[in-house]
Amino acid sequence: MNGKKIKVEPYFYLIPSFLVFGAFLFYPFFKTIYLSLYKTNKMGQAKLFVGVENYTSLLTSKSFYNSLIVTLVFVAIVVAGSMLLGLVTAVLCNKAFPGIRFFSTAFALPMAIASSSAAMIFKIMLHPSIGIINKIFHLDINWISDPRYALICVAILTAWLNSGINFLYFSAGLSNIDDTIYERASVDGASHIQQFFRLTLPGIAPIMFYTLVVDIIQAFQSFGQVKILTQGGPGESTNLIVYSIYRDAFFNYRFGSAAAQSVILFLIIMALTLIMFRVEKKGVKY
Amino acid sequence: MKKRSIALLLTAAMTASMLMGCGSSDTSTDTTVTQETASDTAVAADAPAESAAPAGDVDMSGTTITFWHAMGGVNGEALDYLVNKFNTENEYGITVDSQYQGEYDDSINKLKSAQLGNMGADLVQIYDIGTRFMIDSGWIVPMQDLIDADGYDMSAIEPNIAAYYTVDSKLYSMPFNSSTPILYYNKDMFDKAGIAEVPSNLEEINKVAGDLTSKGGAGEAISLGIYGWFFEQFTCKQGANYVDNGNGREAAATAVEFDSNGSALKTLTAWKALAESGAAPNVGRGGDSGLADFSAGKSAMTLGSTASLKQILEEVNGKFEVGTAYFPSVSADDKGGVSIGGASLWAIDNQDDVKKAATWQFVKFLVSAESQAYWNAQTGYFPVTTDAHNEQVFKDNIAKYPQFQTAIDQLHDSAPEYAGALLSVFPEARQTVETQIENMVNGQQTPEEAVKNMADGINASITDYNLVNE
Repeated sequence: MNGKKIKVEPYFYLIPSFLVFGAFLFYPFFKTIYLSLYKTNKMGQAKLFVGVENYTSLLTSKSFYNSLIVTLVFVAIVVAGSMLLGLVTAVLCNKAFPGIRFFSTAFALPMAIASSSAAMIFKIMLHPSIGIINKIFHLDINWISDPRYALICVAILTAWLNSGINFLYFSAGLSNIDDTIYERASVDGASHIQQFFRLTLPGIAPIMFYTLVVDIIQAFQSFGQVKILTQGGPGESTNLIVYSIYRDAFFNYRFGSAAAQSVILFLIIMALTLIMFRVEKKGVKY
Repeated sequence: MKKRSIALLLTAAMTASMLMGCGSSDTSTDTTVTQETASDTAVAADAPAESAAPAGDVDMSGTTITFWHAMGGVNGEALDYLVNKFNTENEYGITVDSQYQGEYDDSINKLKSAQLGNMGADLVQIYDIGTRFMIDSGWIVPMQDLIDADGYDMSAIEPNIAAYYTVDSKLYSMPFNSSTPILYYNKDMFDKAGIAEVPSNLEEINKVAGDLTSKGGAGEAISLGIYGWFFEQFTCKQGANYVDNGNGREAAATAVEFDSNGSALKTLTAWKALAESGAAPNVGRGGDSGLADFSAGKSAMTLGSTASLKQILEEVNGKFEVGTAYFPSVSADDKGGVSIGGASLWAIDNQDDVKKAATWQFVKFLVSAESQAYWNAQTGYFPVTTDAHNEQVFKDNIAKYPQFQTAIDQLHDSAPEYAGALLSVFPEARQTVETQIENMVNGQQTPEEAVKNMADGINASITDYNLVNE
């Protein structure tokens, strides 16, 4: 365009990464779109071209809207919970005190626990007659079989699991804030609460934004805990969209419908991410 | 502009090369498969007469067959023991490579994927509700062919178990681990409440529920897990069909029948009554969701598989006396029986007579009286052969767990016509049934609505399935 010769060489450096991306991202992505236009047979092979029928039947299905709503509620609880938990624990561990290593390990630990094994433990803890939660609080609540509580239980478990990595990010963010600005603020007579809202929060805003984006995407993809704790039940009250995809694809062997759901999930996450980056440009100051 | 188009071109080229890479790797796997078959044929050629029939005269030495199973935990250990025993003791030189493939659902799904690449196993353990799918799959050798070729005597195999896997008077797979559901009850609570007769149907359970909680000290009368299998059993107990075309046994089913014959409504009305009176609170979904309440001494009764007997006795650990009774019917005038659950062994057709013969030898070993007696004692599944009743291991076991006799009597009291339905989309149908019952128990719908939603959901799945799989 501007008269410069186009160099071919740099593109060769891209080949390895494109091979990997191609095999594990692009090819499955296009295959998913292809499958979403077909009905598949019992082997999961595309058999009957149906055009957008998979999409239209999804968009007219009550069950699918239920999945979407459940997923949105779930994501909201998980993101709010895990960010709050991560932030509180990180602020608590920002000051040096005896035993801090123990506490920071404990707060970061959830990120080392597999979601499935955590779900197994919660399943026993939440059991209505032998679980420890009902025993301690002298309650008689059927946590995971009652549609009013099941989603909240799964969401809190997920929030706790995700809080570990948030703790780590927030701790890193906090240690990046220069101590001298706090000293200057206290000389000027700012209270601790003022300091937190005027100095700490703006100081970690960039990292908070990053964790927000990652948390939302991660929450959308939660699967293991639903599979183990509730299998989408009771009724369909915890039928998160990723679980619904799994069930359609690997249980009912209806890859077409599952692929269509995946595409819709992809569009939702993409839209959310784009919106957040828009907001970031306006709101987050580095 | 130009830059971008070149970039696009390169991307396209790379995608293409990647696809080609995939293609060539596919071919290479194919070659190895062919080589394997070639070496197998070489083995076969050594045999004196290369007969098509898997009889005893085929030289099977050095043959390795792959066995996929879905038995984890204690059951898996018992199965490993049997496999090892066969490997060291069989006189044909056969080696069985047994591979745990996860739960039943995982196992059948892996088989589907593996058959796409034609690299599956020789013998696969598949659950009861996968039967219709396997028959229609075209991947299998009907067990009857192997039985006929060998002249094997089937008379010892429990007829009510074999009936489930028999279609068009052909036994398609060999029953291996079979169970029926039974009613477990807390004898101490029944004594305290002064109830002499154990309820035999859901209506009676509702009648004695008050006494059990007020006098017997139970927290709830029955911990009734929401499980599709129980629903199917209630249908069988009424002697009614679940789906059309002779319960899916004469031909592939085209629609459910439990709505039009009224059996589902009857079951669900009784179920809802139990839930509303507080006799059967919602204890969750799945076959063993009711067991914890029972073992903890909270519920006076529970429904569960016979295969859970040992686990229950271990968990109760003498805190109270555990009684067993027949699986309840819905009302007193029901005239049906129970059907079996569990899994069976399917021989996969790999176009290899030597492997087929070896597979048959292994199947024969697994259903022999000695193996089945051991299997029964270790796991609580039925011995599928009545010959096992003469084994000392079996006698010792029944002396130790007299409750197990209930299960055997119940099986013998049933009849082949209550063998239960066959349906290609059964796993999905079961989920639909459980979801709708759950919604009903949680007060979101009436039994009538639940039946309608079940029928609509399952019929849609069946139509969809039949449309793409002819």
